[in-house]
Amino acid sequence: MIMERCIGAHRWHRIQRALRHGKVTVICLLLTVVVLRGTIGAGKFGTPEQDFVNIRDQIVHKIAEHRRVLEEIQPQQQQQAKTTSDSADSSGSSSTSNSNSYMEFHINSILKDEDPEEKSDPNKPYSIGPKISNWDEQRSLWLKANPQFPNFIGPEKPRVLIVTGSSPKPCENPVGDHYLLKSVKNKIDYCRLHGIEIFYNMALLDAEMAGFWAKLPLIRKLLLSHPEVEFLWWMDSDAMFTDMAFEVPWERYKDSNFVMHGWNEMVYGEKNWIGLNTGSFLLRNCQWSLDILDVWAPMGPKGKIREDAGKILTRELKGRPVFEADDQSAMVYLLATQRDRWGSKVYLENAYYLHGYWGILVDRYEEMMENYRPGFGDHRWPLVTHFVGCKPCGKFGDYPVERCLKQMDRAFNFGDNQILQMYGFTHKSLASRQVKRVRNETSSPLQVKDELGLLHPAFKAVKLSSL
Amino acid sequence: MGQDNFMTQKRNLSLPTTAAAGNGRAFVGGGRGALRGKHVQKTFNNIKITILCGFVTILVLRGTIGIGSLGSSDALNQNLIEETNRILAEIRSDSDPIDPNDPPEPDVNPNTTYSLGPKILNWDSDRRNWLEGNPEFPSYVNGKPKVLLLTGSPPNPCDNPMGDHYLLKAVKNKIDYCRIHGIEIVYNMAHLDKELAGYWAKLPMIRRLMLSHPEVEWIWWMDSDALFTDMVFQVPLSKYSKHNLVIHGYPDLLFDQKSWIALNTGSFLFRNCQWSLDLLDAWAPMGPKGPIRDEAGKILTANLKGRPAFEADDQSALIYLLISRQDKWMDKVYVENSYYLHGFWAGLVDRYEEMIDKYHPGLGDERWPFVTHFVGCKPCGSYGDYPVERCLRSMERAFNFADNQVLKLYGFGHRGLLSPKIKRVRNETATPLEYVDKFNIRRASHSL
Repeated sequence: MIMERCIGAHRWHRIQRALRHGKVTVICLLLTVVVLRGTIGAGKFGTPEQDFVNIRDQIVHKIAEHRRVLEEIQPQQQQQAKTTSDSADSSGSSSTSNSNSYMEFHINSILKDEDPEEKSDPNKPYSIGPKISNWDEQRSLWLKANPQFPNFIGPEKPRVLIVTGSSPKPCENPVGDHYLLKSVKNKIDYCRLHGIEIFYNMALLDAEMAGFWAKLPLIRKLLLSHPEVEFLWWMDSDAMFTDMAFEVPWERYKDSNFVMHGWNEMVYGEKNWIGLNTGSFLLRNCQWSLDILDVWAPMGPKGKIREDAGKILTRELKGRPVFEADDQSAMVYLLATQRDRWGSKVYLENAYYLHGYWGILVDRYEEMMENYRPGFGDHRWPLVTHFVGCKPCGKFGDYPVERCLKQMDRAFNFGDNQILQMYGFTHKSLASRQVKRVRNETSSPLQVKDELGLLHPAFKAVKLSSL
Repeated sequence: MGQDNFMTQKRNLSLPTTAAAGNGRAFVGGGRGALRGKHVQKTFNNIKITILCGFVTILVLRGTIGIGSLGSSDALNQNLIEETNRILAEIRSDSDPIDPNDPPEPDVNPNTTYSLGPKILNWDSDRRNWLEGNPEFPSYVNGKPKVLLLTGSPPNPCDNPMGDHYLLKAVKNKIDYCRIHGIEIVYNMAHLDKELAGYWAKLPMIRRLMLSHPEVEWIWWMDSDALFTDMVFQVPLSKYSKHNLVIHGYPDLLFDQKSWIALNTGSFLFRNCQWSLDLLDAWAPMGPKGPIRDEAGKILTANLKGRPAFEADDQSALIYLLISRQDKWMDKVYVENSYYLHGFWAGLVDRYEEMIDKYHPGLGDERWPFVTHFVGCKPCGSYGDYPVERCLRSMERAFNFADNQVLKLYGFGHRGLLSPKIKRVRNETATPLEYVDKFNIRRASHSL
């Protein structure tokens, strides 16, 4: 009304019409943009589907965060409840649950820390341990004084200790512990055949170096406590042996101290964060190794140091997403920036799968069984199938649960078949837990040799002079 | 294309507007009434456009994103959880896809005696010849006989997650003991013989391992619910040079009382020889699942003191066998009770603190038990014979009690027998080897 009196009725009408047209045009434009974005996408702003996935992930992770936070609070509350009920109840057995049923039992109701947590001085810079500079001499003196513990158990065969581990508390995922159990059985089998010792770690030695960094203080501690061990072989709990007949070519590494699966071009050339893999590697027991551990550790301490280091690594390495510093990226960065200092003793192996990414291997097992045989260790018959990203012990991994667990079963059976064939059995199929006989019992068992020769393999033979 | 629709719609919409306006002017005549009519028309048209646009937008968005599940994040999470639970239930179930190409399993003829395999008659001489022909696989290394520890668990996940966790801890415990003492482990997760499932499954496996590994002198069966609690103690094998079966038990309970718990088959050693194969052959017939095992169970309950009524188990069967054919077998059986080759948990777990106070590892007996065996707890199933809390608390204590002995070399210990966390008990040093010499169990036992 007011507008009409100001401008004039006719003009007003024209303006209104223009406005109406404008409205419709704007709506149409908006619609076009939306439709186009939905189909083509708007470059790095993504498509609605990606948005959706991002939102879902965020919500899901927030829920996971909440859950984790809740679970951390819960034990404290339960511990408080426990201590008060313990002091009231002197007999030691709680009267609250006398049930014989294992279902619905929560482990936190029995776990109790008696001694207080060690408080680390926040002002003191992190150190993985007191500096040792003469480890080579100390060790060789010890070896001379202890000839019954030689560091070489065969002419070319060093004494090796495989180190792996998992959390001392039950997995969040109810079948996680079952897969850890199968994984350790798999390692027991390989190590029995190859004369390797196992150390299964369930202790967090250093609270600051938690998560993927926990292996560093553990490795250092084991190197120093076991001078008889020549090579320490770290292996993640989600890595499985799939070639029981393959023996690591130890002579190839006689001049190297650190063997990892990776590619020189990707590490030194591209600085690619997955240029090497620290899920399965060999480390010699010597001064050089202690030094590289000292240089590797500083990015690890949790909190601000790890976060800031993560930012540096994302900036410097190719393809690395944004998250806190992890040991693998730190190693790539270390080698790429200090090649002249360390590179000569680091062997990046890719002739066989010292670490084999599961995604490209697990679907080919049947093809491998048809065309090849154990003993190659490479793409034809991988030594190790490593389930990176599956996280069977946790509630959320990077891949769908079904694919991960089913494939872990297949990889386990693939390796287990090679063990069972020694005794005349095999799994009914790669997906089946049941076994069937493939070789009949005989009254002269010593005449029968197993197909792969794993019952009494050459790499297990004892040095005759040591008898 | 959408734009075209809109243009036509716009044209259509604009026509009625002017027509309506025209009508309004023609019909109503009164000034205010006409204007109001026009307003109403305009508003109506606007609403039409708005609704149409809204409708099209929703259609387009639904086509790209699909709004349904965006409704609530709770519903989404619920879906994820349901999916995961379905997969877990599938894994947990014992179902195996039945292969139609598999020949049907032959039924066991109850009239023929079950046999573990073809009869072997010359195992001692065959084995001796093989050892002579293969000196690189000796049965004695550094004067100590080669021992193989056999243990195992079912191939499917336990009924409850605690079970798998404690199986994992138990295997870590065995790995630690065997690493320190140079013993090899075989962890069996396969049912080699469908007939002999359950506790009987150890028999075919023991026989198979004996025949496949002539270089092994002793095969040591240990239950999955038995833990080593003395990491220093070694089985005094030289004491058994004239025996072939070493088993924990009490002779008076065995011969005088004929008790069904006179011996314990949760932890025993078999020498790799003809005698053992013969004993296994004599032991197995009560095992086959079904009517044979049930009938055998009745015989055992009738003949052994205190045995409840249930199907035949390997322990009762062995006791019955040794009692009824005493003359044939007992001279080579050593019934050991000077140390806890098997230690029933109930009388031991509460005394750990007292043991730490007064004694030291290496004794193996009631002062520091060699093995703590959690008979009856059955953590892998749904129900045990004892309260769950008591069982799990005790297993955690036993595990940590043993783990402290392993961690001592590294300068750590658990923060209490119920704590999974550890604390430093010895400071780091730049000369770690002096402590290695002091605390390394393997080194100490080698020099014995």
